[in-house]
Amino acid sequence: MVFLTLPCWIRSRGPDRYWKVQEVLKHARHFRGRKNRCYTLAVKAVRRAFVYATQARRLKKRSMRTLWISRIAAASREHGMKYPALMHNLTKTSVQLNRHVISDLAITEPRSFLSLAKLAQARRQEGFNAALGDGKEPPGVFSRIVLLQ
Amino acid sequence: MSSRGTPSRFLASVLRNGLGRYVPQLKRISIVFSKNAQSSLGVRDFIEEGVVDYAKKNPGTVVYVSPQTCRIPKVVAEYLNGNVREEFVTSKTAPQISELLTKLANQSGQEIMRLRKPFHTDNPSIQGQWHPFTNRPPAIGPIRPQKQDSV
Repeated sequence: MVFLTLPCWIRSRGPDRYWKVQEVLKHARHFRGRKNRCYTLAVKAVRRAFVYATQARRLKKRSMRTLWISRIAAASREHGMKYPALMHNLTKTSVQLNRHVISDLAITEPRSFLSLAKLAQARRQEGFNAALGDGKEPPGVFSRIVLLQ
Repeated sequence: MSSRGTPSRFLASVLRNGLGRYVPQLKRISIVFSKNAQSSLGVRDFIEEGVVDYAKKNPGTVVYVSPQTCRIPKVVAEYLNGNVREEFVTSKTAPQISELLTKLANQSGQEIMRLRKPFHTDNPSIQGQWHPFTNRPPAIGPIRPQKQDSV
């Protein structure tokens, strides 16, 4: 007699469950609690982490810009100007520096930032004189738009 | 791939390579292939024609050619800072392998991972970094020698 039903009960499962599990767990190793050890919890946590990472790439640009703006505002207030006045007058004098560069200058090059603040202040005064004055004074130095050929 | 979950490094050159003399960072290349397998056909063609020229073009790199019975041919590159990089070259043509080897020769040995900043300076501040007393006038005047009142 040959017993044939017993071998039919043995199933061979997939060979690489360990590596498929490790692929997910390796992204969860720095998590807190059982999410860094147990696969079922780790899958949900890793998916969330990836979603947050994707969203944060868009948000990082916004938060860096607000950081630069707050730094420039603090530095310009040290010199007696406010942020909107500084940026508007810098654009009017065609100084095409972005907020990243101006905030780096305010940190590492304080004297250059002081000169930028003074330039913006002078341009602001010329704007006031042109608007409020009689028109008899000559137009200012910084408000002349230079056309580079 | 979160930024905390994957490793990252700062941009740096190896010992200011290129400032004075440029030293190629590739120390050793070992080409492991099989003499009779189908997957090492491109490697064998490369060794017939291109490997000697490659070794002459990179005099600072030692090229080892080791035929073994192996299923997958690979190229092991070792760099001067100790990093080892293995590349599998199964079913690649000889021009592709030579392109890969020139790429390995031009790399510095640093790990290929996310760079935190695309720039690096040793002297970030020339005028002196800002501190809370930079723009404040001093409270006391300059220090002068005391007036000697003759009694």
